[in-house]
Amino acid sequence: MKHRASKSILTAAGLIAAALFLGACGQKSSAGSSDWTEEETLHIAINSDIVSMDVHKTSNDYLVPMNVFDTLFTVKKTDDGTTSIEKSLVDDYDISVDGLTYNFTLKEGIRFSDGTPLTADDVKFTFERMLTLPDSQQTDYAISIKGARELLDGKATELAGISVEDGLHFTITLAEPFSGFLAELATPSASILSRYLVTSAGDDFGNLPEKTIGTGPYIVTSWERGSELTFEYNPGYWGEEPTVKRVTVKVMDATTMNMAFQKGDLDIIDCDNLDSAIIDQTYKTSYANSIVSVDRLGMNYLMLNEGIEPLSDVSVRRAIQMAIDRQSILDSIYGGDGKLEDGVFPTGCLGYSQDNQGWLKYDPDAAKRLLAEAGYQNGFDMELSLDSGADDARKNVVQIIAQNLSDIGIRADVRSYDHAGWLDLRNSGQMPSFLATWSLDFNDPDNVIYTFFGTKENTVIRSDNYPDEDTIKRVADARAIVDRNKRMSEYAALEKQLVETDAVWVPLFSLKHLFVVGDKIDSFTPQWAGWSDMYFTGVRLKE
Amino acid sequence: MSAAIRRSLGVVLVLFGVVLLVFIILRIIPGDPVSVMLNEHANAETISRIRAAMDLDKPAALQFFDYVGNALRGDLGLSYDMKQPVLTLILNAFPNTLKLTVLAAAFAWISGMGAGIICAMYPGKFPDHLFRTTSILGISVPVFMMAFFLQYLLYYKLSLMPLVYDGSLFSLILPALALSSASAGSVARLTRSAMMEQRDAAYLDTVRAKGLTRGRALLRHGLRNAIVPVITLMALQFADMLSGAVITESIFGISGLGKLALSALQTRDMPLLMGTVLFSAFVISVGNLIGDMINRVLDPRLSV
Repeated sequence: MKHRASKSILTAAGLIAAALFLGACGQKSSAGSSDWTEEETLHIAINSDIVSMDVHKTSNDYLVPMNVFDTLFTVKKTDDGTTSIEKSLVDDYDISVDGLTYNFTLKEGIRFSDGTPLTADDVKFTFERMLTLPDSQQTDYAISIKGARELLDGKATELAGISVEDGLHFTITLAEPFSGFLAELATPSASILSRYLVTSAGDDFGNLPEKTIGTGPYIVTSWERGSELTFEYNPGYWGEEPTVKRVTVKVMDATTMNMAFQKGDLDIIDCDNLDSAIIDQTYKTSYANSIVSVDRLGMNYLMLNEGIEPLSDVSVRRAIQMAIDRQSILDSIYGGDGKLEDGVFPTGCLGYSQDNQGWLKYDPDAAKRLLAEAGYQNGFDMELSLDSGADDARKNVVQIIAQNLSDIGIRADVRSYDHAGWLDLRNSGQMPSFLATWSLDFNDPDNVIYTFFGTKENTVIRSDNYPDEDTIKRVADARAIVDRNKRMSEYAALEKQLVETDAVWVPLFSLKHLFVVGDKIDSFTPQWAGWSDMYFTGVRLKE
Repeated sequence: MSAAIRRSLGVVLVLFGVVLLVFIILRIIPGDPVSVMLNEHANAETISRIRAAMDLDKPAALQFFDYVGNALRGDLGLSYDMKQPVLTLILNAFPNTLKLTVLAAAFAWISGMGAGIICAMYPGKFPDHLFRTTSILGISVPVFMMAFFLQYLLYYKLSLMPLVYDGSLFSLILPALALSSASAGSVARLTRSAMMEQRDAAYLDTVRAKGLTRGRALLRHGLRNAIVPVITLMALQFADMLSGAVITESIFGISGLGKLALSALQTRDMPLLMGTVLFSAFVISVGNLIGDMINRVLDPRLSV
């Protein structure tokens, strides 16, 4: 008995040792020992891992598409805060007078990082895949092409609107004119994939680094799910050689990220991931000269659901617009790093109209009078729905809004939902009132206004339930106006109608996005709309 | 032998119950995987198209039996959120969790039992007071604070340890220490009290009468008798850690089972959540079985 017992303990100890040893051996060595030095390496962190490297299967994670793939066009931020569209994979193009036909020529000699040449057929393949992949999340970016609807509904096998003339030349025909089309082509959503590489990779495309091959400046060299991604410079890249040759992206929580940056193990930290207290007390003081900020092309708004009493009353909505002290929220929560917005389109967005700004003033007394006139002298109860996954700053903003509302007699009850539950309620059209942000995907007024007010279904899923069908139709029709000036003045008129006349939402502000850079960084240009995902080519390392 | 078959059958029943329960709970709580997936980019048409592509538009009962049928054939399905086979995701995550668990258990048990034995040998003396206090500390300090303290001291101040898991065993030491502190405390306290009971037992007098010192008698004979409840506790701790340590894994960037299960719940990723829960339930059931068997070997009276 004595011997048996000690033997089993020995066996157990042996097993544990073996497990540890095997574990150590089983550890994957990072793919290919790197030729790049620490000086050429950029270390960054993200707060949750990407779900897929396949751009058609995600509409949230663009780190891989932005750095490993290319688009036909690209966006540059201009000095006046708006943007311009520049050619990327495209060498030359022209657009027919009716705004329907686009002729493109690709740059010569571009290859995917494994050597496969890029051809016009790959472009056709990319847009067809967007529409035919059963769980595609990017159908919106191909839907304006002629024949897209038929392909999506399974009534066609080919995308009629794209014709390939030869290896470099192709033509895209739209179903109706849409001047935002080039801007759509410039988003990472429209990254160009290779027919051959994607088809031969099968399910591994987007899952395995070695099977996820693009024409872009970087190659994904490893992806350890949940912990780390690494990138290396693609030596066959057709564009300018970046100073960053290797990138590690670690998944870290806020506290860890903060510690790693202060220790010098991270080169850029995204303040969106940090507590506002830490930003104020540490970064805005000790790192004040290392802060890089970019104006976000994004609108923060308080949605008011017109399908729910008494928010269905326009006087009540107007009273709420006047009751919220937006400037003091901006100053107290965000340290003034932003700008008040009075419309639908945030500053920098095409269609932004100076004429529609400056009309909304904080005036709780007028708000109270308006409420009384509407028959709510004793106020009413309403719900403010909060996503419990929101950051601290946003939770605090909601509390201040509730306070502002109570000042005019509205008893706002802040209710928390977990993220999935919150989305569920909002998409059902039943969420009474909530704070949210819309960040631009591509710079065109349609990207904002159509999302919220372009179709009946959209007004439901965004829980605004805007009822005016004429205006909804005008929003949809404005897409197809060919004359640029006419189109922009129609958007300005719609914006005025929606926010000033109908008080569909309380426009709040657009915010700056702050990053802090370490000693190794010479300069850093964040993505044009102020996304957290960055182009590594936008980082210049010191020599 | 029939006992073993009976127990295994029980395990199968437990697993089925777990699957059913998770499925029902996921139906009851609000939230839709496709909405989470699309997040801000949702529109009605895309939602219904992707729901159809993922068979989510089928009746619930049909989905359930599809799932069970496939699971019986060893196919746990594709993760909604991560677009990969659930089994692959679990089998990739499990080695990380296993390594963390084994290391944490080793730290916890060696230090816990060591401290417990020393306490029992010098009751009321300085080492006893010292270890009793530290074990209380170990049990009551939350894991995230322990982790932060370890990271701050050993990474930030002293530069001795890596901040997060980088695949090496070395980088697992901090997370294992953080994870083990509570277990170590419990093991220490249980070992001490079990040994103290033996200390006063009559048979020890007999042993001492044979000429052994008090300490030796306690170590040679008392420990053997005291260890049975400690092993039961250890088996429970081991199974618990093996089903994933969410907080430790999140702080140290370890892609283990806990993180996988948490993200599956947050994204309402039914196949992945079912898979991780099923796997954990399996591991715990098997762990219990093994724990029982070890105890039977150590204490033959249990087999009677």
